[in-house]
Amino acid sequence: MSPSRSSRNSLQSVDLRALDYLTSPSANLLCPICHAPLITPVQTRCLHTFCSACISLSLERSSTCPVDRKPLNHDDVTPAPIMIANLVNDLVVLCPNREKGCTTSCARWLVESHIREDCEYATVKCAKEGCDGMVERREAEGECVHEEVECAFCEGAVRKLDVELHYKECPKLSSDCRHCSKSFPNPELAAHKLICPDEIIDCAASHFGCSFSSRRSELDEHLSHCHFVALTPILQLHTERIETLELENKAIRQKLDLLVPPRPLPTQLSGATSSAANDSSSGRDMTSEMQDYTYHLYSEYEQLRSDVERLNAQIRELDVKQDMARFNEGLRYNDEMTGVRAAINGLRMQLHWLVASRREAGTGGAGAGGARSVAGSSASGDGRRMSVDSVRQVVKL
Amino acid sequence: MAAVKRITKELAEFSNNPVPGVSAGLASEDNVFKWNVILTGPQGSPYSGGVFTLNLILPTEYPFKPPTLNFTTKIYHPNVSNDDKGSMCLGVLRSDSWKPSCKIVQVLEMAAGLLKEPNVDDAVETSIADEYKNNPESFEKTAREWTRKYAK
Repeated sequence: MSPSRSSRNSLQSVDLRALDYLTSPSANLLCPICHAPLITPVQTRCLHTFCSACISLSLERSSTCPVDRKPLNHDDVTPAPIMIANLVNDLVVLCPNREKGCTTSCARWLVESHIREDCEYATVKCAKEGCDGMVERREAEGECVHEEVECAFCEGAVRKLDVELHYKECPKLSSDCRHCSKSFPNPELAAHKLICPDEIIDCAASHFGCSFSSRRSELDEHLSHCHFVALTPILQLHTERIETLELENKAIRQKLDLLVPPRPLPTQLSGATSSAANDSSSGRDMTSEMQDYTYHLYSEYEQLRSDVERLNAQIRELDVKQDMARFNEGLRYNDEMTGVRAAINGLRMQLHWLVASRREAGTGGAGAGGARSVAGSSASGDGRRMSVDSVRQVVKL
Repeated sequence: MAAVKRITKELAEFSNNPVPGVSAGLASEDNVFKWNVILTGPQGSPYSGGVFTLNLILPTEYPFKPPTLNFTTKIYHPNVSNDDKGSMCLGVLRSDSWKPSCKIVQVLEMAAGLLKEPNVDDAVETSIADEYKNNPESFEKTAREWTRKYAK
């Protein structure tokens, strides 16, 4: 083996699950879930052994042991004893490239390095400088098959690798129709395929459940009496309607999401496992989602209602306070008004008295009466000044 | 796809070690999730001489979810629903009693066993179960008649 070759490792990955075993392994080494020899074996608390990937998948769906249904979670899973891992890793497997022709068989733990370094049929990068193509390792030393050559018929450029494929569609060549075995030039073959009378096709209403299929030439007769075809317009209408309703529903749901930001609910918090389990069963998921929503909306509604009640009580309290204040204020004003009114009455009386005494003084004679009236008038003069002042005050007010 | 790998394996195992009275195969080569199953009526039962076809549908989550088994041939049996679905009531097929370690071949064995001996405690058609318990002659007569009519 030349050094350049051994350095060229294959990037082909090995799926350990897809391997075939030389002899059928002991049933004790099989995983109860995938029924294949254990890969990265792990052990549960109840002492059952599974592939690490299988038990993780199972725990995502149900927190029970897949064998005895005892409660189980991720923490109860530990790596299985090394001996078990060694037993399964030592099982002899056939090379994954067996179908291409590799006859190697080796222990399972060696198969990856066999593919990476030795297998003649593993795909490696083409040896040619600057070529990105992939070839099998045994052909890597030969000439590059990714170079373009000229097609002998249509003179187009084709990669060497694809020449065989190209002949099937080269426009200068003819191919046989798969159904009626007549020969057509390649460019016309596609058009012919759409009308080939011998092709077996499904009934036009197959997507609505009709399982009938026959040659194209004989289908017309079936179509004329197929119940599904007769129902197609109405079924189509229903499908379209359901689609629009679904779209509408989606839009409404989005709107609802915007209005009411979804709040994590206790049921969703019970662990990633249960939420993953929900994903797996869309039916149950839908109903539980709806329930969550209803629950959420209901709590929101309750909260709003209590808010409104609280506000109502506050408003009522404020009303009462305001009424009281207004009443008190009114009383005060009333008192003041009566005071003012009494004052005005007093003034009016004084004014009357003054007017009357002035008239009396104007018409009366002399003597004691006159002197009294002078004294009176001088007194009333004071009074008048006072009254004028108070009237001015009232006017000012 | 772990499911496909396991189902293919189970099919290969079944073809190598078939269950007596049961034959099974894929409904179409490109879909391993749908099997056609044919049960032949066991000797000594009212279904003797009948050929019953069933559909076995495996969910994509198999083996984490149980398969479903439906009779496409009409059958007079306490454990098979008497409608166009013909669903078979097998305890092991209920999702709460299904285990990922159960195999399809066990399901098929149980289905064949039910033809031999119906399980009245787990009946889906209670009237047929009552008849089977209280009036076995009349049950056998009807079952035989249906077998002759539908399962030949």
